[in-house]
Amino acid sequence: MVAPPDLRGRQHPDRLFTLLGKLIAILEWLASGSYIRRPQARPVDRDLQLVVDEVRVEAADARSFRLVAANGAELPRWQPGSHLEVLLPSGRRRHYSLCGDPADRRCYRIAVRRLADGGGGSQELHDSVGPGSILTIRGPRNAFPYAPPFVPAAGYLFLAGGIGITPVLPMVKQAAADGAPWQLIYTGRSQASMPFLEELSALDPDRIQIRPYDQHGFPAGAQLLEQAPPGATVYCCGPAPMIASVRQAFPASAAAALQFERFTAPPVVDGEPFEIALQRSGRVLTVPAEVSALEVVRQAVPGVPYSCQQGFCGTCRTRVLSGEVDHRDRVLTDQERADTMTICVSRSRGGRIVVDL
Amino acid sequence: MLRRRNAPVHRTVDNLVLTPRDVDFDWASLPTHWVPGEPFVTHTINVLHLLLPAGERWFVDVFTQALPYINDDKLREEVLGFIGQETIHARSHQGVLDHWKAKGIDTDPYVRQIDWMFFKALGDRDLISKRREEWLIERLAIIAAIEHITAMLGNWALNSPALDAAGADPTMLDLLRWHGAEEVEHRAVAFDLFTHLDGRYLRRIRGMTVTWPIMLWLWVRGVVFLMRTDPELTGLRKKARWRYYFRASRRHLLPPANEIVRGVLRYHRPRYHPLKEFSTGQAVAYLASSSAANAAAV
Ligand code: FES
Ligand SMILES: [Fe+2]
Ligand SMILES: [Fe+2]
Repeated sequence: MVAPPDLRGRQHPDRLFTLLGKLIAILEWLASGSYIRRPQARPVDRDLQLVVDEVRVEAADARSFRLVAANGAELPRWQPGSHLEVLLPSGRRRHYSLCGDPADRRCYRIAVRRLADGGGGSQELHDSVGPGSILTIRGPRNAFPYAPPFVPAAGYLFLAGGIGITPVLPMVKQAAADGAPWQLIYTGRSQASMPFLEELSALDPDRIQIRPYDQHGFPAGAQLLEQAPPGATVYCCGPAPMIASVRQAFPASAAAALQFERFTAPPVVDGEPFEIALQRSGRVLTVPAEVSALEVVRQAVPGVPYSCQQGFCGTCRTRVLSGEVDHRDRVLTDQERADTMTICVSRSRGGRIVVDL
Repeated sequence: MLRRRNAPVHRTVDNLVLTPRDVDFDWASLPTHWVPGEPFVTHTINVLHLLLPAGERWFVDVFTQALPYINDDKLREEVLGFIGQETIHARSHQGVLDHWKAKGIDTDPYVRQIDWMFFKALGDRDLISKRREEWLIERLAIIAAIEHITAMLGNWALNSPALDAAGADPTMLDLLRWHGAEEVEHRAVAFDLFTHLDGRYLRRIRGMTVTWPIMLWLWVRGVVFLMRTDPELTGLRKKARWRYYFRASRRHLLPPANEIVRGVLRYHRPRYHPLKEFSTGQAVAYLASSSAANAAAV
């Protein structure tokens, strides 16, 4: 291990770096003895078993579920924007935002819209979970933090679309309790489909606009942001197209900050099913139309690295041995695309893809 | 609205989900001395661009190797979020180096040495089983120590109004604060990973004992190198001096030495945990307002 040349470009190895190399070699020697009495990495179990205490109909196809500990104990604390991961009896896992009162430490509340085509998780909750059912949950975790400065200069604009009202509801209540200037624009398919209207009516009606699409049309981001006072912080949760349109319009708006739910895996657009073959394990997997290759590969190869799941970080870049790739990332160069792909977003142009995994 | 004295300044945010943010920085109009009239301050902060691209790529390499050993789903998710964030950090600082190169400022001699340190001296070895694991964990202890320092610097960057007052370039300030805020956001990940896989106090301290002197030495060397390479400085002005540092830190343009020393000492407390210091709430509030993060393609 020869040290690099010195800073003045002379060709002999830098003396101080030679010394540094020796120091690090000593460290490695010390490390090699550290296996003695090293504690083992213990599996960590973070599951909580909670009892469904109450189920309420909140809108035409939305219900809320109140969850408590069987022994009435305090639950882990949370702040607005947090969600739970619910492990359903069928083995499905779903994320639901907490929409209750963070100060009430003995219960959690989630609200769920019944989706006809949502993979069955919401149907299962609606049809087979009732008072007395036991649910396994993990969390809370927060992917949509509400953390404005305590003394807001310009106020908040809350944008909620449909069931996206769930994380926003505790934020709005918090802002109201803080005496901050706030506005809520709440959109949804129709008035009857929008949950929590009654609960919202307890707040200042002058600050709330209810805008169902069937009367006002689908709201464009720019139109929603028009109402943001200069310097405001915007909190947005709703269907993916709504968030995308708000993000696009944000830089040109008067608002100063934008917080949105940070979905890790956006829905697949125009996906066709295809086959992916893992060269090293010899397995062939089928990637369904609405699922990413990463999702499928992850089940088979648990250690596969990834991060953004949106095609911009490059962590999931994988060598392609054969097949025509439909590159959908925004990180790889043409040269890198010649023999690699980001499996989180990219798919096949048709036909099987063989990857070096 | 009046707040009680000692009331918290920032909101509590627990259990934050870590994900990388895509960012977009344009360096075309970056002045050489982006803190106007302060070449020493500029270059002291610029050392980050020399150390971080290689350093953070090395973090990602080492963390990726640790993935199969993690026995905790929540920690694994945090490590994956960390990996993505550090990848984007490395790339963004590399952008500054590329911009300098295009302007004819050659940092290769210094960067070559840093690459050598991370990828040769601290790189992978031909080791098997136990020894391989120990070398991995040793490097995780070093990363945990570095991450304590980067969180400290990140927290400083988020609370450095003197740089705005001095007229520092807003794009560069956004880079420092976006990066600093993500460092604060993920400050516990490396520590928790080391704790999960080993966690012994003496080994953690061993990591810090090798880290801080090397970092300090590289920093001093980096400032001297950048001042000497700076095409806009001539004669005696090319010389870096300690008194410049003390003068600048007194004016809050650089983090003060006593704060850094105290911070490093805190890491030696047996009950130290990164979440006991700095504010996740402040970090996420800044990130919501970062122009670079809001400008990135949707
Ligand atoms: S996980 Fe970031 S590009 Fe695929
Ligand atoms: Fe970083
Ligand atoms: Fe970091």
